[in-house]
Amino acid sequence: MTWSQWLPTLITFSPLLGVLVIWMTPREKATLHRMMGIWATIPPLVLAWIMYSQFDSTYVGMQMKQAITWIQVATFWKISYSMGVDGLSMPLVFLTGLISTLAAVASFLIRERTKQYYSLFLLLEVGMLGVFLANNLFLFFIFFEITLVAAFFLVGIWGYFDKEKAANQFLLYNGLGSGFMLLAMIALFRLTGTLDYLEVQMWMQSKASPVSPTLLWIIFISLLVAFAIKLPIFPFHTWMLRMHVEAPTPIVMIHSGILLKMGAYGLLRFGVGWFGAYMKEIAYILIALGLINILYGAVLAFVQKELKRVLAYSSISHMGILLLGIASLTTIGLQGAIFQAVSHGLISALMFFIVGSLYERTKTTELDRLGGLARSMPVLSGILMVAGLALLGLPGLSGFISEFLAFLGLFQVHPEWAAVGSIGLVLAAVYTLRAVLKTTFGPIKDQWMGLEDIQIKEWLPMFILVGFIALIGVYPKLLEESIQVTLYQMVSKIGG
Amino acid sequence: MNKDWFVLLVLLPPLLAFLLMVAGRRILSKRMTSLFGVLSTGISLVFSLVLLVSSLRSGVSLPDWEFTWLTLDKKPIQFGVTLQPLNVLMLVIVSLVSFLVHIYSSGYMKDDERFTVFYSYLALFTFSMLGLVISPNLLQIYIFWELVGVCSFLLVGFWYFKPEAKRAAQKAFIVTRIGDIGLFIAIAMIFAKIGSFELHDLKGAIEAGKLSSGMITLFAILIFIGAVGKSGQFPLHTWLPDAMEGPTPVSALIHAATMVAAGVYLVANTFWLFQASSVAMDVIAYVGGFTAIFAATIGIAQTDIKRILAYSTVSQLGYMMLALGSVGYVAGVFHLMTHAFFKALLFLAAGAVIVSLHHEQDIRKMGGLWKKNKGLGWLFLIGCLSIAGIPPFSGFFSKDEILLSVYANGRYGLFIVGVIAAFLTAFYMFRLFFKVFAGSHEPKTARVPWSMTGPMIVLAILSAVAGFIQFPTHFLETWLITGGMKSLHGPESIAWIPVLAVIVSLLGISLAYLMYGVNKWDSRRVAQAVPWLHQCLVRKYYVDEMYHSLIVLPLKGFGWLLQVWDRYVIDGLVQLCGWISMRVGKIGSTLQNGQAQTYALISVVSFVILIVSLLAGRLFG
Repeated sequence: MTWSQWLPTLITFSPLLGVLVIWMTPREKATLHRMMGIWATIPPLVLAWIMYSQFDSTYVGMQMKQAITWIQVATFWKISYSMGVDGLSMPLVFLTGLISTLAAVASFLIRERTKQYYSLFLLLEVGMLGVFLANNLFLFFIFFEITLVAAFFLVGIWGYFDKEKAANQFLLYNGLGSGFMLLAMIALFRLTGTLDYLEVQMWMQSKASPVSPTLLWIIFISLLVAFAIKLPIFPFHTWMLRMHVEAPTPIVMIHSGILLKMGAYGLLRFGVGWFGAYMKEIAYILIALGLINILYGAVLAFVQKELKRVLAYSSISHMGILLLGIASLTTIGLQGAIFQAVSHGLISALMFFIVGSLYERTKTTELDRLGGLARSMPVLSGILMVAGLALLGLPGLSGFISEFLAFLGLFQVHPEWAAVGSIGLVLAAVYTLRAVLKTTFGPIKDQWMGLEDIQIKEWLPMFILVGFIALIGVYPKLLEESIQVTLYQMVSKIGG
Repeated sequence: MNKDWFVLLVLLPPLLAFLLMVAGRRILSKRMTSLFGVLSTGISLVFSLVLLVSSLRSGVSLPDWEFTWLTLDKKPIQFGVTLQPLNVLMLVIVSLVSFLVHIYSSGYMKDDERFTVFYSYLALFTFSMLGLVISPNLLQIYIFWELVGVCSFLLVGFWYFKPEAKRAAQKAFIVTRIGDIGLFIAIAMIFAKIGSFELHDLKGAIEAGKLSSGMITLFAILIFIGAVGKSGQFPLHTWLPDAMEGPTPVSALIHAATMVAAGVYLVANTFWLFQASSVAMDVIAYVGGFTAIFAATIGIAQTDIKRILAYSTVSQLGYMMLALGSVGYVAGVFHLMTHAFFKALLFLAAGAVIVSLHHEQDIRKMGGLWKKNKGLGWLFLIGCLSIAGIPPFSGFFSKDEILLSVYANGRYGLFIVGVIAAFLTAFYMFRLFFKVFAGSHEPKTARVPWSMTGPMIVLAILSAVAGFIQFPTHFLETWLITGGMKSLHGPESIAWIPVLAVIVSLLGISLAYLMYGVNKWDSRRVAQAVPWLHQCLVRKYYVDEMYHSLIVLPLKGFGWLLQVWDRYVIDGLVQLCGWISMRVGKIGSTLQNGQAQTYALISVVSFVILIVSLLAGRLFG
């Protein structure tokens, strides 16, 4: 037993410290809440960094693992509190820590009921960290539900005009997803008597007792649907459009940056990790869905009249690329999927931050009403350009390497479909440039002449995001080293 | 002596200059900025020349080095440097033209308030272009390939407030990206097939017969699609003339001398791949030949000084492709080099014309500049003579080699196309020259500063004499094909070909002289005689209009259709389900009327199921 075993637990619950402190402050001290809120996101970030430095990239399986029997029913059924980290979760844990801190900074845009806001915000962070660090499906489910509740209130209370509808739809859909997950969980628990990742995985490999394949298919499909909604995969995507448009800036940064990636994580962890052979059998369907996501999202992003909706549809398109990487079931493709999760998390967080700052000043994100902003806001426009270039996959920034790897994986197995998907890369350039240039290029409208450029509290977090995006783009080894071993093990277990 | 690190001295100064300028955007004065820019590219140039000398002296390729950038499926993906003669030659061309353009820009851009931004883009471009030409593997080539593309995009759209510049930048990016996807697919498929991005591995696989001929043809054509986009070949040429919205030094550096030649470089660099497929060679030759004559005819009817030069660039790049497709490896590369010099000269001179005429670009409003600025006239004339292929200027020698290889390769149809294109080239270039410089009209002119004249003089000297590195000794050829490319020896010269080429060029010049120099023949009467043809040329064969109605509009229409579908069908179903569940919820309990309650309901139900199942477990277990 070493101290590092406590790291996953510590990281997950460390934001609660901030919640406690904020509870003790008077309700009207908004500035104090803000400071507290930002400071409270620092411990998980620092701890995630420590975890990364302690991480042994040659170790197979979960490390820093801690398991305590939690609920025991008879001798067969037991649920343990088990936490741990492997190559799949490590990058996402760090991403969560980073984006939470930056979103906390971006929360200066929130002006009402700050006490509740920051409490819920930190609760959301607990949920996200727990989702990635849990080693047990039951625990995963609980953390997953925590993120749902927290995000629901954050959007429903602090969102824009149509916030109730957005929050409702979010809840309806994700509740549906949770229902499926619950179904799968119960069935699996009845079968195996455990929900621990490793034990379920071993059980899937050996299948000690004879099980009807139909039942396993049902479990697998239920899990798939649960995470397909989260990712989201066409046609389950409409909830996230509203969410992107109505959620307040910091929450949409987290939503698009991390919450959607929980779908990707679930697909990788449970889909590929447990049901690899089943994934292989429906790989064609996944490829088809991935292609639909890419092209459908891209074409729709091209005709949107409003900046946030362009970004929302572009998220659908980019998640399609991620899905293609997973569907290839090759080491390179899966590596691309993880890269894409991290990279898109960074890029979309940056994008929505920029859009939030823009909206603060212009009070509109209608493309036709914007234009020429590079004149009055050169710094914001410059960062928007970098973010746009990252989004359309410019080499040297993280978007390129992740998309390239996802495609490369698919090219190894189905070059013809991968080639079809590459059309999405042209379309990405088309819709991204259209949106960026409509905003910042062209003659400036008189009403935007006097706009103030962004301040340090805005550009500093943006620069940090740009820094990470460029770092991964220039030196991808940084991200790749920690995930390799996990991936080899995953792919070797897929069989077929 | 180990010169590995010399390469870094070529590459890093522009990168450092870029970072410095971005960081110090607010504090750097214009003087400091241009000093850094010129200094950094100057260092690059010096060390490129050092590499050139040592490559010439040792006669073999210099040591290459690599480091691991990424591991894919246990295969190390390398980044590195290769310094074959072709790479070294490109290094020198790029750093030289970039150096001169950096100097020129300090005069041309001196009144622009975003001076430092301009120089930072130029520096980033120089770095990327240098990185491109030393890349030993396809992935690295692709990365720099895209980077030069984005620099081009940023510089075309440098005057972001102009709607035309915005449109042109967007078009440049998207049209070249269509080509890039070809390259992207090629690279990914090659990796899937041979498990490596390295060019020498691909070469080895071809030599060992590991790839079927169909595969080789597919790879070659996909790579060529990338080259078509970048080098403005038909049908992806439309972005290049529009790219003239960028500042003129940019047009000289990126859209004439270096980046647009990257497609030609790419084909030359993977020439063994193309040689292994006769189909691919045919495709290059025909696309190149067609582009050469197609763009030349458009050039005749244009009225914007920079657009004429742009179509001329497209046409000349077509020439280079034609040469490569006819196994004229050396001829193609040679023309790439001479073209870099004389076309950069012409663009810089055009920039000087524009400056001295107070930012006038329409040649119909020009004339009589010779009397005002003889020096500029001579410089422009040298460029024109060189591109028209008049001996002893450099264009003569390279064009001669191209025609020779096409003829020797047995492509007689394309040979005729090449000769006609040579005639048209001479004609439209001297139409431009006489329009600008001839005439009795006395324009009001502004002074052209020395920072602009100096680089033009250097380029003029190079345009005048560069041809002699291939004549009479075939010096360039001997150097370029060291190291296993013996099959690329050019054909024996045929005496009547250069004579024919010069005659048609002189005919073109004479015709231009009669029509525009002394106005003996009225050009408007010619246009009126065949109005449909004239209109067709003015509108560039309606290619843009065709793309607009065949691709852009359908995509938009399809997008709107999908929008309706997404909003009313997909989302409609969702709304319906939501509505039904709300109804059910309301019937089920009158107490539940808010979102929080809905959620509570779901959670409670979930947990009840969970607990029941646990209890059930206990009961049954």
